[in-house]
Order: sequence, then C-alpha cells, then structure tokens
Amino acid sequence: MQSSFMGSLMEMTEKHSDIFYLTADSGEGGLDLMYQRNFPDRCFNFGIAEETMIASAAGLALCGKTPYVYTAAPFLAYRSFEFIRNDVCLQNVPVKIFGSGSGISVSSLGPTHHTTEDIAVLRSLPNLTIFSPATPKQAYESVIEAYSIPGPVYVRLGMNKEREFFADGYMIPSGGLDVMRKGSDAVVLSTGSVLMEVMAAAEILQSEGINLTVLNSFSIKPFDSETFLEYASSVKHVITVEEHNVIGGLGSIAEECLIAAGLSRSLLKIGLNDRFSKGYGKLDTVRRENGLDAATIAECIRKELQ
Amino acid sequence: MNFSDEERCRELRKKIFITGYRGGMAHLASCFSAVEIIYTLYMKGLLKHNPADPEMVDRDRFVLSKGHAGLALYSVLNMAGYVTDEELASYLQSKGTIGGEPNIGDAKGIEASTGSLGHGLSVAVGMAMAQKYDGNGARTFTLIGDGESQEGSVWEAAMSASSFSLDNLIAILDCNQLQKTNRVNETMRYIEWNQKWKAFGWNVIEVNGHDIDALYGALSSVEQIGKPTIIIANTIKGKGVSIMENVPKWHFKLPNKKELKVFMEELGISEKELEV
Repeated sequence: MQSSFMGSLMEMTEKHSDIFYLTADSGEGGLDLMYQRNFPDRCFNFGIAEETMIASAAGLALCGKTPYVYTAAPFLAYRSFEFIRNDVCLQNVPVKIFGSGSGISVSSLGPTHHTTEDIAVLRSLPNLTIFSPATPKQAYESVIEAYSIPGPVYVRLGMNKEREFFADGYMIPSGGLDVMRKGSDAVVLSTGSVLMEVMAAAEILQSEGINLTVLNSFSIKPFDSETFLEYASSVKHVITVEEHNVIGGLGSIAEECLIAAGLSRSLLKIGLNDRFSKGYGKLDTVRRENGLDAATIAECIRKELQ
Repeated sequence: MNFSDEERCRELRKKIFITGYRGGMAHLASCFSAVEIIYTLYMKGLLKHNPADPEMVDRDRFVLSKGHAGLALYSVLNMAGYVTDEELASYLQSKGTIGGEPNIGDAKGIEASTGSLGHGLSVAVGMAMAQKYDGNGARTFTLIGDGESQEGSVWEAAMSASSFSLDNLIAILDCNQLQKTNRVNETMRYIEWNQKWKAFGWNVIEVNGHDIDALYGALSSVEQIGKPTIIIANTIKGKGVSIMENVPKWHFKLPNKKELKVFMEELGISEKELEV
C-alpha cells in the first residue's frame, strides 16, 4: 500500500503544483527519499512532531496549498487529534491526512502502534471525509480521490502486503462501496486490509453451501448507505468485520444505518470487543489471536447463521 | 485631526472595555497587554495588507495564537477598516457574529481560528512555508503568550521554523508574566525565554511591548537572514487600568460596581457609553 500511495502521490504532485508532502519521521526511508529527490522544495520532514505537522499543514492550506500529511496512523489520529479538529476540520481546509499501518497491521509492536479506534474518534469530526482502502489499487486511487474532495480527508492505510482484488483500470465506485461477491445467505460488510480475511472466510463458507454477499467500504464517511441497505434488505443477517473496536467503527455505522432506515436485521459485529489488541508477531498470528483471521470469521458467521 | 499613537491605543482600550462590558465577558487583561503590539503591526505600516482587498494573495498574515486576546484584534481590525462598528457591537450578542476567540469567517481579516493554545505558531509555520515557496516576499507574524509557551507544540513549531529556515516568520511573545491562576514562573519555573529561543535557532530581540516606537524599531529591523525571529515583548497584563495591572484574578473577569468606577475614570468612559 505504501508504494502505491507514494507512486500515486508523485504522479499527482507532478500534475498539481499546490501539492506538498509532509511527514513526521514516518520511517518510509526509501519512499520519502524518492519524493525528496523529485520534489525537494515541496517535501518536509517535521521530525517526530505530529501536532505541529498537522497545524502547519493547515497553515499551508490556508495559503492555497494542498498538503498530504503522512506518518504512522496512531500518532496522527490520537496524538494530533485536537490539531486535526481545530486547525484542519474547524477551518475546513484541504489537508489530506494519510495514516500508515492502521488497524493491527503493525502486528509486532502491539497496541501502542495499533490504530483500532481511529474511525470512532475521527468520524465524529465535522467536515472530515474518511477513506479506508483495502488493497494497493484502492490506496493508489485514494490519493486521487482525496485531491478531488475540497475539504479535509483522513485515509487509513494498512501495511502488510495486502492482496489485490481489483483488476487493472479499477476506479472507486461512486458511493465508495465495492460489491466484492454476491450471495443470498448474509451480507458481510468489511473495510480496510481485513478484506482479504473476509474474502477467504467467504470461500470457506461457500464450500459448505453458505453464500455471502461481501461489501467493501472504501469510503467510511460519507458511507454509502443506499447500496448497503439495498443488499441488507434482501437478507436476514448482516455481519460487519473490522480491525477496529466494534464501538464507533464500521459496525456502529451499519447499525446506525439500519436503525435510521427502520430495517430490522440480526447484526453481528466482528472486531475488537471494547478492548485493545492482544499478542505480538506476524499479522496472521495477531489476527488469529484477535479473532480476525479467515477461519475465526467463518466460524462466527457459521454460528450466527445457524 | 491627527491623533497620537498613545491616544489611539487609549481609544482601543476604551473600545475593548466597552465592547467586553456590553457583551458580558472578556479577557480584558490579556487584551490590554497586547494592544500596542497588534496596533503597531496593523496601523504603523509593518504588515503588508489591504482592508479593501482582505484576500490579497501576497499579503502578510497575522495569527493571534493567544486567541483569548481576540477582542484586541477585533478592535484593531475595526480601526484598520476590516471590522465594522456593527460587527464589533455584535460581540457576544445572541445574533452576534463575533465571539470571545477569533474564528475564520466571523469577520474580515481573521486569518486563522484560534483559542486553543499552542496552535498558532505551527499554523504560522505552514503559512510562512507557503509564502516562501511562492517567493512573493510575504511574511507571517504571530502573537503567542508566555503562559502559552508551556504547551509542547510551541517548541515543536520552534524547531521546525528554524530547521526550515523560515526567516519570513516573526513571532512576538506577549511576555506579561501572568497566566490564568498565577505567575508564569511560579507555575512552571525556568522562563529564560531569550536563551530558550536562541537555543532553538531563532533570532531574538527584546523590547518594551507597550512602547510603540520601540516595537516599530524592533519589528522593522528584522532581517531575512535564514532564521525566524522572535520579538520578546515585555508587557504588563491589564496595562492601562491600575487595579488590573499585574493581578492574576483579572484573567477572565469584569469589574464589580466599585471596580467599574476605576475603569471608567482611568479609561475615560461615561455611563452612557456603557449602555447596551
């Protein structure tokens, strides 16, 4: 995802003279260097100082620039939250905030480096658009989509060799919700990197005769409630899967949407149940430890449908 | 008729007090310590700006980081021709357009929404970066507080400004030595601002923050030599009303009946002027 992001950003920087790249010692040495070589006067490393980076991005935007801010997601979303709120969202300026390694994708470093409440906290901010790419192609497109939005955007990028599900020439659908597969037994709504586990779970269940519709929410805010409700209304069971606390995240969005539409469906929210992530190691291991691997997701859905 | 700078600053203090009093609340003492500084920037030809064209692309920017002195800024913007008398009079009124802290869009001439301390210098860093990239000679000025300098983000911004060689960035420290509840150095010790800013790679100039000639001299002497500049302006919180000067309790308070007499007498305000 990181190289797709940077490739896309460099192409966009070439095209648009207002784009700047701001980072806070993101650790993407090679990628940062590549950008720095190509655009030395539009690249700024603020060091380990996320707050001032976000506010400075707002200052740049107030002077007509479109800064892309990139660093580790937890430090952006949490450390600089008030700066995102006051300097970026309140002033409604076009700062594009890319949080890298969101969810539990930086699996070896544990909960301080996991971003499992960012959707909950950030979607409460007025004016902010939120994207959650699931694959490298979506990460690439997110840079372009973010530029087309006049206001601020937060993009949560995974960081663990996400599988590609989309063909060449893929474009983000108009509402930001991809229909990955169709089935009549339940609708599973997923977002971000965990899509690969959801797709694998759908394969497992298909072999048992359970057919799932899988929807992938690229755009978290605004959320494409129309497409979601269209599919949700034709099944009895809705399941959400996210590398995020089930409070305030995708599950809550689906729930709010169903209630607002007066649609009564059984809803299973798979994610972190009001706790921080457990375990360290490879992502496969940590996902398993937290019930976010394909086998556990399949097991939960199987039980729910019984 | 030509008024002296002193008379115009007295006029500003009067306006700030009347507006705040009619509105029902204001950070009077914080406003009063900053009057000469904001006046000198806008009214003495230091800031490149044009009230007839507030969005002028190559204008200098001013960010009031200590947003609680917003009424001082609004009053100077009123004097400069950005804010109308009606807008100023709408302060804290139910259908008013301006409030206790400045917000973009509330009135012309407001360059940033401030109020939460420790943000303005960083915002100013971004503005100075954009101006430098555009190469139009524009500069950014920001006014920060000494109490505010307890915020860590001030020092993040200090590091980035000097590291990015933002010599078009000028910060002014309203050094009135008081914060909300106490003296600054009794709250957090070690207030050697001059040494601190020098250590962070800034050009430092110290000046009496109520002396307009001195302020003008300091601000106009700033050279663009690869470093950001900070003007340490030594001020008195509450300057202009004897009972308010240097007394922490006045941070966010209006006078009672007895105190009001002193305010009216020392600022030259009549009963009629205080009527809503």
